[in-house]
Amino acid sequence: MTVGPTVAGGLKLAPETEHDWMLLIGIAGDSDSDLAGRLAGLMDEDSMWDEIVAPELTEEFSKQRITVVKEVMKAKEEEDDVHIVKSSADVWYGALNQARLALEDQYKFGAREEVDPKMFENPSARAAYFRNNFYCHIQSLLLQYVMID
Amino acid sequence: MNAVDAPAHETKTRSREKTDKPWQVVVLDDPVNLMEYVSRVLIKIFGFSKEKAEELMMAVHQKGRAVVWSGNREKAEMYVNQLHSAQLHATLDKAE
Repeated sequence: MTVGPTVAGGLKLAPETEHDWMLLIGIAGDSDSDLAGRLAGLMDEDSMWDEIVAPELTEEFSKQRITVVKEVMKAKEEEDDVHIVKSSADVWYGALNQARLALEDQYKFGAREEVDPKMFENPSARAAYFRNNFYCHIQSLLLQYVMID
Repeated sequence: MNAVDAPAHETKTRSREKTDKPWQVVVLDDPVNLMEYVSRVLIKIFGFSKEKAEELMMAVHQKGRAVVWSGNREKAEMYVNQLHSAQLHATLDKAE
């Protein structure tokens, strides 16, 4: 897959294999639907965060994941590249972030310089680590080329 | 003053002190959110200058947490809500 900025101020993801498509569709699969609940766990009980805020955030995060999957599926059906336009950059960034937060929660990669080499003995963790880096790379490109004021 | 009145007075005093202290919005470090993104979110939500936002972001990164705002609870909760919406780890604390 090639990824790069477009002259229109967006980002183009050009999948070349079925595996590339599965990787993009898998962004939503890597995400954890309980991110809002985990954030609510940072708040005290007086705030009633679980009841008041978390449901709204759950819906917001869910919309991000659904939008990304829809855009990827549409591009796949039309045999086109995936185009992330400026207006949907925040949604893409959020969905990728959800995936990375969930992978971090599951595998505890830590900061890049702290990654335990033993982790790579586990094929599942190794694959998750590379997906995490791929997602992070797209996020960096979004920040650098698309999410600019 | 009798033995029963004294503790009641102390309780009232402590309670008032607790209520009067401002609430702090605290951003917590995590290994996922990119440093540039954290700065952008702080600028967007609090209107900080780029320099101030980067200073706070570095404090989060190096110390594990940073107080980014303090004031009344209602507004502090609104800010934490916005930070959570941006998927940053944030919470509320009582000022020391």
